[in-house]
Amino acid sequence: MRNKLACLALLVMIAGVLGGCWSRKEMSELAIVLGAGVDSAPGGQVRLTLQLARTSAFMAGGDGGGGKEPSTWVISDTGETIADVQRKLSAKISRHIYWAHDVILVFGEEAARGGIRKYTNFFSRELQPRETMWVMVARGEAKDILETGSELERTSAQDIGFLARARTGFSVIFKDFIIMLASKGGNPIATMVEIVDRGVISGDIAKDKPTKRKGVALTGTAVFDDDKLVGWLNMTETRGLLWLKGEVLKGVITFPSLTEPGRELSVNIIRGQTEVEPQYDGESVRFYVNIEVEGDLIEQQSVHESVLEEHERNGMEKEMAREIEGKARLALDKAQGEYGLDIFDFGEAFRRKYPREWEKLKDRWNEVFSGAGVEFAVDSHIRRSGLQGRRTSVPE
Amino acid sequence: MLEGGKINTRQAIALMVTMVLPTAFLFVTSVTGHLAKQDGWISLLLSIFTALLIGWVAVNLSLRFPGKTLFQYVELILGRWLGKFVAFLYVLWYIHINALIIREYGSFLVAAFMPETPISVFMLLILAISAYAVRNGLEVFTRVNEIIFPLILVTVIVTSALATPEMDLKRLQPVFVENGPVPILKAAFMPAAWMSEIVMLAVLSPYLTQIKDGYKIAATSTLITGTFLIISFVGGIATFGPEVIGGWLFPALNSVRVIHLANFLERLEVTVMVVWVAGALVKISVFYWAAVLGSAQWLELKDYRPLVLPVGIILFATSIMLHDSILDLFVFLGTAWPPFALTTFQGGFLLLLLAAAIIRGKVGKRK
Repeated sequence: MRNKLACLALLVMIAGVLGGCWSRKEMSELAIVLGAGVDSAPGGQVRLTLQLARTSAFMAGGDGGGGKEPSTWVISDTGETIADVQRKLSAKISRHIYWAHDVILVFGEEAARGGIRKYTNFFSRELQPRETMWVMVARGEAKDILETGSELERTSAQDIGFLARARTGFSVIFKDFIIMLASKGGNPIATMVEIVDRGVISGDIAKDKPTKRKGVALTGTAVFDDDKLVGWLNMTETRGLLWLKGEVLKGVITFPSLTEPGRELSVNIIRGQTEVEPQYDGESVRFYVNIEVEGDLIEQQSVHESVLEEHERNGMEKEMAREIEGKARLALDKAQGEYGLDIFDFGEAFRRKYPREWEKLKDRWNEVFSGAGVEFAVDSHIRRSGLQGRRTSVPE
Repeated sequence: MLEGGKINTRQAIALMVTMVLPTAFLFVTSVTGHLAKQDGWISLLLSIFTALLIGWVAVNLSLRFPGKTLFQYVELILGRWLGKFVAFLYVLWYIHINALIIREYGSFLVAAFMPETPISVFMLLILAISAYAVRNGLEVFTRVNEIIFPLILVTVIVTSALATPEMDLKRLQPVFVENGPVPILKAAFMPAAWMSEIVMLAVLSPYLTQIKDGYKIAATSTLITGTFLIISFVGGIATFGPEVIGGWLFPALNSVRVIHLANFLERLEVTVMVVWVAGALVKISVFYWAAVLGSAQWLELKDYRPLVLPVGIILFATSIMLHDSILDLFVFLGTAWPPFALTTFQGGFLLLLLAAAIIRGKVGKRK
């Protein structure tokens, strides 16, 4: 009898625990943050903008374009710190603000110019925001970026997240951004986002005209001096930056034909690798950049040359290498000349090879970097050529 | 006999690994990384070496007194009164260290997963389960550990493997020259304090089926633990770099959080929680068992089970009273604890006991 009573008491106690936990959060009680924007506000304050998912709109349509309801809600407020604004916002948002699904973190241009370190801490200290969210700097205000919509995705935050993931430009997750912020051997860079024309959505001809759309595009790279935004790289320079940083490379290289002036060839990059080798003789610093790249020929405007001929292919490969070096030089010249900032982590490469010398140079590294000579050795290969070996549209 | 269970060599190795790894895995990387930066793995190698030495001392001592635990043979070495006193200190030690472990356990869950839940809820629940395990004896929680042990190893291996796209081994360079020997030595204290928990073998040895395998158990389990700590550390540095890692409280958690593969394999940090809860259960049970067994032997009781509840209450109260917050706990574990543990109960004292045993020529009766 006593045992049975004890068992019963235990069961009742277990039932109490099994019911759930303290920090239980139901889906229907959450305001899911998809994108966050940080701008500076007058008086040294911060403006936080949140793009929240309207979950009811997500549930409505089974197929992609099903829901007629808008799927996001963008709301912002100002305060002393991010947490302070979050508290203020929670007076306007009926649900618990939930950060764990935040895809992008956008900093406004002005906030970034004033120093970004002031704003980053919340996102590493708080439990919910991920180290994997994409970090971007808006040309203009971050708020405007988050207020856009998307033509293909449910929300613009997801849209921008996919753009970043495709890595056509330079994209960086929060983790790698804070590593750059903490490192002395290189200055941080982040994706630059801008609102641009994004085509038209074709309407029902009988009723309305096609509507012109504005949306967000990744348009280059934001360049920081320590934690302050100082300038931008455009998309072409960004391609060069990617070669120099040895980032994951995707995309197309277009270069002129050697034999037929005015005609261009395009190669789709399959694999690329960059090694940076510093050299220091006690006075001057030199860098040797070795780039290895493989790609597939996907378009050829010239008509007479063919990748099947070895000497012609070698010519194309040389031209391709020259094109890559040209792009890289473009980014390098801008970094060394215009900004005087090491944004390629060359300092880290130097530190690894010459740790003792680094101690002496690190405090004036950007200056040393700007004066450093850089030599390129690009080894490029065309491995495949799509479904064609030579062009057939030329009458013999 | 107070404890009737017997465990074989393989079980003992697994138990000794689970007894060290879960908390070390979470707490050591941050401090080691903060002090020794990218050279922390050298500190870990040093601490493995230290732990092997301490393990050797503990086993050597125990082999001189087969069938007796640490709490019993100190009396044979030091005489009844002094021996009783030292045995009592060891019982207190096992309560103290376990209170710390329980606090670490609760602190991590509250800090990283459920900030609104009172810490005492986690501590009370794990203590209740541990108390049940201890009542059932050594063999029972050893067998439970045979399920948990592979789970821990596999989780650590799989999550490390999945995080490799985020890793850059270049972040481990340059080796040695930047930091020099002093920070590396300083950073070795904390992992050494963790791995030298292997002195538990001095309590465990009478319950081994193959008592002669003591050295093998100490060495193998220390090497396994050390290897996994190095994997975890190197992974952490390669993921975050030496500057960022010292800022995280639990780098092992962040290393798992950064996993994002193909847009669907992500948010795996719950695996860290599984490893933590399961591993901590075994770890707390082992130390709980040692404290209870020690008290029973010290009081020369016939059965240790009546002591499970009182010791548990003391453990709970102590773990709450010891520190104000996780910040206090963290500073304590990173600064005061390692030298204290290594010079006294987890090293220094054993060395003195061994020296005394050799000088006084005391050897227990052979079976």
